[in-house]
Amino acid sequence: MALVELINVSRTYHDHVDVPALKQVTLSLEKGAFAAVTGPSGSGKSTLLNVLGGIDRPDEGKIQVAGVDLTDTPANQLADFRLRRIGFVFQAFNLLPVLSVEENLEFVAALQAMPKLSRQQRARELLEAVGMAELRGKRPNDLSGGQQQRVAVLRAIMTEPAIVLADEPTANLDSANASLLLDMMERMNQEKGITFLFSTHDPQVMERARRLIRLKDGAVVADEIVRVSGLAST
Amino acid sequence: MLFISLAWRNVWRNRRRSLLTVMAIGLGLAFNVFLRGITDGWHDEMVDNSVRAEVGHVQIHRAQYHDEPSVSKTLPDAGRVERVIRELPGVVGCSFRVIGSGLASTADNSSGVEVMGIDPAQEQSVTTIQHAIVKGAYLSQNGQRPILLGESLATRLKSSLGDKVVLMVQAADGSMGAQLFRLTGIFRSGAPELDGGVAYILRSDAQTLFSLGDRVTEAVLLLSSSRQVPQVVEALHHNLTGDDIEILPWWEVEPFIKQFIQIDDAFFYVIALIFFVVISIGILNTLTMSIFERTREFGVMMALGTRPVQIVRLVVNEAIALGLVGAVVGDTLGSAATLFFAKHGINLGAVKAGVAATGITSSVVYTQLTAANLIYSTIAVFIVVLAVALYPAVRASHLKPVEAIRYV
Repeated sequence: MALVELINVSRTYHDHVDVPALKQVTLSLEKGAFAAVTGPSGSGKSTLLNVLGGIDRPDEGKIQVAGVDLTDTPANQLADFRLRRIGFVFQAFNLLPVLSVEENLEFVAALQAMPKLSRQQRARELLEAVGMAELRGKRPNDLSGGQQQRVAVLRAIMTEPAIVLADEPTANLDSANASLLLDMMERMNQEKGITFLFSTHDPQVMERARRLIRLKDGAVVADEIVRVSGLAST
Repeated sequence: MLFISLAWRNVWRNRRRSLLTVMAIGLGLAFNVFLRGITDGWHDEMVDNSVRAEVGHVQIHRAQYHDEPSVSKTLPDAGRVERVIRELPGVVGCSFRVIGSGLASTADNSSGVEVMGIDPAQEQSVTTIQHAIVKGAYLSQNGQRPILLGESLATRLKSSLGDKVVLMVQAADGSMGAQLFRLTGIFRSGAPELDGGVAYILRSDAQTLFSLGDRVTEAVLLLSSSRQVPQVVEALHHNLTGDDIEILPWWEVEPFIKQFIQIDDAFFYVIALIFFVVISIGILNTLTMSIFERTREFGVMMALGTRPVQIVRLVVNEAIALGLVGAVVGDTLGSAATLFFAKHGINLGAVKAGVAATGITSSVVYTQLTAANLIYSTIAVFIVVLAVALYPAVRASHLKPVEAIRYV
């Protein structure tokens, strides 16, 4: 069974005029995927990730993620779903500024009621694995953009969610930092089997993704496997 | 613990704004504690003045005496009453009196008076009349039928020390009683009804004058604290049950004082309410601004799995943190000011006439700091803080994560 399944999902924003963001989108994603949703601005990439992550609701269609049916799920259950199944990485990092790097990693684990010692140990292991152990007591504002985004990725995988949804994760990074970040996520995908779904314009991300889902005007116009197990397909 | 720590840090993100809010809470609370301290001190002094002037904390009479006083309504079995009183804890003084009305006459004038027959030693243990003597001396058993008159009564009767004063009364048996007394002392209590209308004589003389034998009309008790009145009244009811008597706390004897205190308390609550409204506006402003500035952060927290109720808890914790620091500041400042003026007093000489109208004879009011004052004021602050925090907290919890994250 697919990890993610969308059937005829539509989402329209109602402002002064109705703006359809997703139109009858149907797709599925397997566990362990390293996939990117691409397309021009306004094509519905972020909306797709938002409805998948349970922070936005579709107007119609059915969404199932990691065995949870998100259709008409009450707010508290949706929060619980996000807490236990989803890891978010945002374009603007969005670390909590009053918490240290280590505390930012611990935040979600603490919400899950993981014991203090366990979550501290897990946070330190993750930071050590990416060579950021010495930054654990720093506040986000003391870090560079690249460092902050790496911490954001670690926060997303801290509790081993079913899927990490990364919305334009490299948009605010220079090329070198973007590459470092992608190395890190690719390694986690390959070593730990964590599923990643990106929305991106960044060619670097598209080059690394094994599957590319192209959206245009809210509809899937292409969906192709471009690489297999880290190797580009021929 | 996570949300407590997070709340504490959030509060101090904007140090200046939080400090201003804490000061608003603190000064409001301090003012409240101090004002309550003045009010409590003022009320206690009013009660104490009234109690120590004449009324005592508790009075015991024959039933129905208070509604229709009459010298013939004497206290049944005063000996038993005295034994019960002596065994009660908290009673520091007791005076058995004979009270009746009559006409005081001198060579130049006459005036209606309340005749109060007292045992000088017993009366000293209850009232301060002996300290109010401005001319002559307090009553003593010197065999010359001494009488004390209030200063304004003595002036009205145009009498001086050593002058003869005749008291004419209707005795308990219906006969007319008249005796000659010698003015041995003039007192000024500061209470107009005492100074202008009471004549103190020895209890034994009064018993003779009113043909009472060894009977008395009332027992007046002084307690170590006015807060003991309810317990002592209850104990007296318990021990003197079945007797044809009435046991009255001071506020039933002098309901005016009780009513004045209630009205004064109502004014205090109105002022306190105004202060708490001002405090609440400050807290509401701080929390609303703080939440407005952190809209994106709340969106992120919700996206990460924070439940709406946890957002409410976070904001409420922030309000409690502000309230807690404000309470420490307010209670400290309020207590310090109240304790200072409890020792040194506040001179109200400038409004002495107004003060005297409330029954306070001294122009200096001593504030009073009580645990109840601190506890209730602090609880009121926290109730205000929690009530005010709910609106922004619920508003924050209703944010839509996807919109909040995009908020710039």
